[in-house]
Amino acid sequence: MTVRRRTPEKVALNTTSPAPKPVSNGAPDNPLAAELTHLLGPKKVLSARSERLNYRYDAIQFGETPLAVVLPESTADVVVAVRAARAARVPIVGRGAASGLSGGAAPLQESLVISFTRMTGLTVFPERREARAQSGVVTLSVTEKARPHGLIYPPDPASFRTSTIGGNLGENAGGPMCFKYGVTGDYVRALEFVDEGGEVHELTRGAYDLAGLLIGSEGTLGLITEASLRLTPPPRYTRTLMASFPEVGEAAEAVSAAIAAGAVPSKLEFMDRACTNAVEDFLAIGLPRGAGAVLLVDTDGDDLETVEEERALVEAACLRAGGTVRRAATDAESAALWQARRSVSPALGRIRPQRMNEDIVVPRSVLPDVVREIRALGDASGLPVVQFGHIGDGNLHPNILFDPRRESPRAVHDLAHEIALVAIRHGGVLSGEHGIGTMKRPFMREAVDPVTLGALWSVKHALDPRGMLNPGKILPDEHGDGAHAHP
Amino acid sequence: MNNDIPVLQLGPQGEVMAHAVDACVHCGFCLPACPTYALLGDEMDSPRGRIVLMKEVLEGALPLEDAAPHLDRCLGCQACVTACPSGVPYGELITSFRGWSEPQRERSPLDRAKRAAILKILPAPRVFSVAARVGQYAKPLAPLLPAALRAPMDLLPERVPAMQPSAEFTPARGKRRGRVAFLAGCAQQALTPNFNAATLRVLARNGIEVVIPEGQGCCGAAALHTGARDEALRLVRQNLGAFDPGDYDAILSNAAGCGAGLKEYPVVLHGLPDEERARAFAAKVQDVSEYLGHLLREGDLERPMPTSRPLTVAYHDACHLAHAQKIRLAPRELLRAIPGVTVAEVPEGDLCCGSAGTYNLEQPELANGLGVRKAGNILSTTPDLIASGNIGCHTQIQSHVRRQGSWVPVMHTVEVLDLAYRGEL
Ligand SMILES: Cc1cc2nc3c(=O)[nH]c(=O)nc-3n(C[C@H](O)[C@H](O)[C@H](O)COP(=O)(O)OP(=O)(O)OC[C@H]3O[C@@H](n4cnc5c(N)ncnc54)[C@H](O)[C@@H]3O)c2cc1C
Ligand code: SF4
Ligand code: SF4
Repeated sequence: MTVRRRTPEKVALNTTSPAPKPVSNGAPDNPLAAELTHLLGPKKVLSARSERLNYRYDAIQFGETPLAVVLPESTADVVVAVRAARAARVPIVGRGAASGLSGGAAPLQESLVISFTRMTGLTVFPERREARAQSGVVTLSVTEKARPHGLIYPPDPASFRTSTIGGNLGENAGGPMCFKYGVTGDYVRALEFVDEGGEVHELTRGAYDLAGLLIGSEGTLGLITEASLRLTPPPRYTRTLMASFPEVGEAAEAVSAAIAAGAVPSKLEFMDRACTNAVEDFLAIGLPRGAGAVLLVDTDGDDLETVEEERALVEAACLRAGGTVRRAATDAESAALWQARRSVSPALGRIRPQRMNEDIVVPRSVLPDVVREIRALGDASGLPVVQFGHIGDGNLHPNILFDPRRESPRAVHDLAHEIALVAIRHGGVLSGEHGIGTMKRPFMREAVDPVTLGALWSVKHALDPRGMLNPGKILPDEHGDGAHAHP
Repeated sequence: MNNDIPVLQLGPQGEVMAHAVDACVHCGFCLPACPTYALLGDEMDSPRGRIVLMKEVLEGALPLEDAAPHLDRCLGCQACVTACPSGVPYGELITSFRGWSEPQRERSPLDRAKRAAILKILPAPRVFSVAARVGQYAKPLAPLLPAALRAPMDLLPERVPAMQPSAEFTPARGKRRGRVAFLAGCAQQALTPNFNAATLRVLARNGIEVVIPEGQGCCGAAALHTGARDEALRLVRQNLGAFDPGDYDAILSNAAGCGAGLKEYPVVLHGLPDEERARAFAAKVQDVSEYLGHLLREGDLERPMPTSRPLTVAYHDACHLAHAQKIRLAPRELLRAIPGVTVAEVPEGDLCCGSAGTYNLEQPELANGLGVRKAGNILSTTPDLIASGNIGCHTQIQSHVRRQGSWVPVMHTVEVLDLAYRGEL
């Protein structure tokens, strides 16, 4: 294992401060906030309640208002904050753009929130096809900065204009490109993190893959401050097609058939009728409103003939399964289709204000059964249930939409549980990419056997002996049923 | 977003606000679109953060004065509305909220006087013209003045032109194709009289007769967006009286901010007696580029003359055109219709230039930060000409571009068209 200690004095790669940062409105009402303000100054520490209460949520749930919020501009600032929180025995919650969908960045108790949005240093090293990014760098900007050098950063969560590298690492985010090219973790060569005691470590992927352990740990094992990311040249050719089907199961059959026939599309996404309609309300680009399900497919590569051949394979599979196919004629058309896919999740807000978001993964062979069973569960429950996801990976996002004033949270929770059980029954897992957070924590005991859970606890104890890093996330209570988290 | 906003206690605007808060799923998609978030990088100064702050205040869980600094930094540019897939009507939320909260604000007497003065001067072209000239002569004194007064002076042109009131009726030239009413605008008449002159010429040349109805006033947007709701309501009613939508094919504005303001009348009057009339009125309102764009697409626009040499025109999307009114294509099409013109896309084009109504006066530092960034982005396209469709953007961009040492002309889209018609481009 290559763990190299670093001095905390290490400064940011380059901190961008384009405008005078406002000073916190101040009036710290607790010793930790006062101490941090003293140590880091009122521009980097938010202590007024009006400021802090905006750091209690992520994209799925609200938690407790933190005691203080630190907006570090360097690793050294993070070290100062961690040490102060440790001395005050206050838990720490790391936060990127708070676009997370499992409650990871929402504090469950009075905490210190460390928000990385101002750590935006980013340098591209084209000769070794690598980018060094501080954790607050917005995902898309890595590709934007690499593109002039003929390189891209493939992991592309639908939230890539908003979410940060730190948050992507925290959740091991995936996206449409990941079917062919892999998820965030596959592109990390090295990372720097601050541990619970305020020590800085630089990890590579050799020996024990400790970096791999940090990736996807949702801020429960350490705070990631920088990462070296692998870049790749973009494929020379990309072709897009959209297929629509009368019924969801048929779309899933087409996916299985296409892959069985040997196609390796770079992206293979699906959305059902409710999703398509919600997005069409937003973008009005002519999506087929009447279809039961839509598939969006990219094939890519450096050899145009192969790319076209693969598209033809997918097309044939779609037609055989009962679908109608439309090829994107221009780059603009395919860009619009992909923007449509990226907008699905928030567009669902047009149907109901609240949602319970599942993130299951099942073997591709059982996809048709799974989507049909979930469709049936939804229909029987009377709650609006919609489905979309990276279907090429077997990754589905069944969402239960509800209005807490009209629909019982209990019924929503029970239905979510049933949906999770469908996945497990078919040999699937609980989380594909959005993490466990608080949302899926109650189901952990059913999904992970006791021995493995014990091993996870050992890891947690080793890196965070006092349990100060993002408590209440991922692992169920060690000696309880762990079902306290609420949606 | 879950909320306990006491809708009934807040009146008709309460419904508007609660609906907007409800619709937000706090996904954060709007964050990268927001200029203040881009500058400051904190959640309170983001759209999502502001929605939460307003919710807390409306619920009575947070004192208004605690939320105010962050809400005051909002430009009202509505970039967040364009970015939001959930369809949150943020513009309606912030406008209604400002109207509801302004009477409760504790402001210093000086602050109150300044705001009152702005609202008196801006909408009255003659008063503005005088004030601008005073400002112009006072320019050498600028370094001695407090920042809040210095900022508007910096924006004044080198020479404030003389007032040229437009004729009440401009006949169509050639075959008569249509009849429109025109909102003459306020500050713009004083600062850039050629905007209106060029607009009338271009419309007339295309066979459109133009009426500037008597009795019209300021559109009310400035009052509305600074929270002076009573004043705004007065102006709205005045204009509803002056313009009879039945008389015209369209009601045109050539200032993006004003056009957006006119289109907002039904929301302002939501739940009040004149709501229906406001709806009929707003349905007729169009930006001049939108209207000319229709002509172009119908094949009815007179063909402009080719330019004397190839020209790169950097088109700047005014927030109130692109985000509030969703008009992006028409101005670009009009410019491209001039043989010899290439339209350059400005990097970070969706980011506000920082002008936004009275923002330069209220938030000079942020306005300046955005102005610098916008001018840099525009100049990076090495344009021969800069075009936009809003007086506020025009002054802001002109002043920042000059400060970065460039003398490239800054024009209204119709001015460019007007020059092309005259063969002077
Ligand atoms: C509309 C929408 C679409 C989405 N689509 C996808 C998708 O396609 N694929 C996908 O994988 N996800 C998706 N997500 C979920 C979310 O965007 C990702 O999980 C993303 O990686 C979160 O990044 P963030 O910066 O917002 O992190 P946050 O939400 O702020 O944090 C996420 C987790 O990481 C931890 N964390 C944050 N920064 C650090 C750090 N520096 N060090 C240690 N821990 C840290 C937090 O404590 C938290 O547990 C989507 C979300 C939305 C709202
Ligand atoms: S994009 Fe829309 S729904 Fe999402 S946080 Fe912003 S306003 Fe709310
Ligand atoms: S209106 Fe503009 S400044 Fe205000 S929150 Fe929306 S994007 Fe930000």
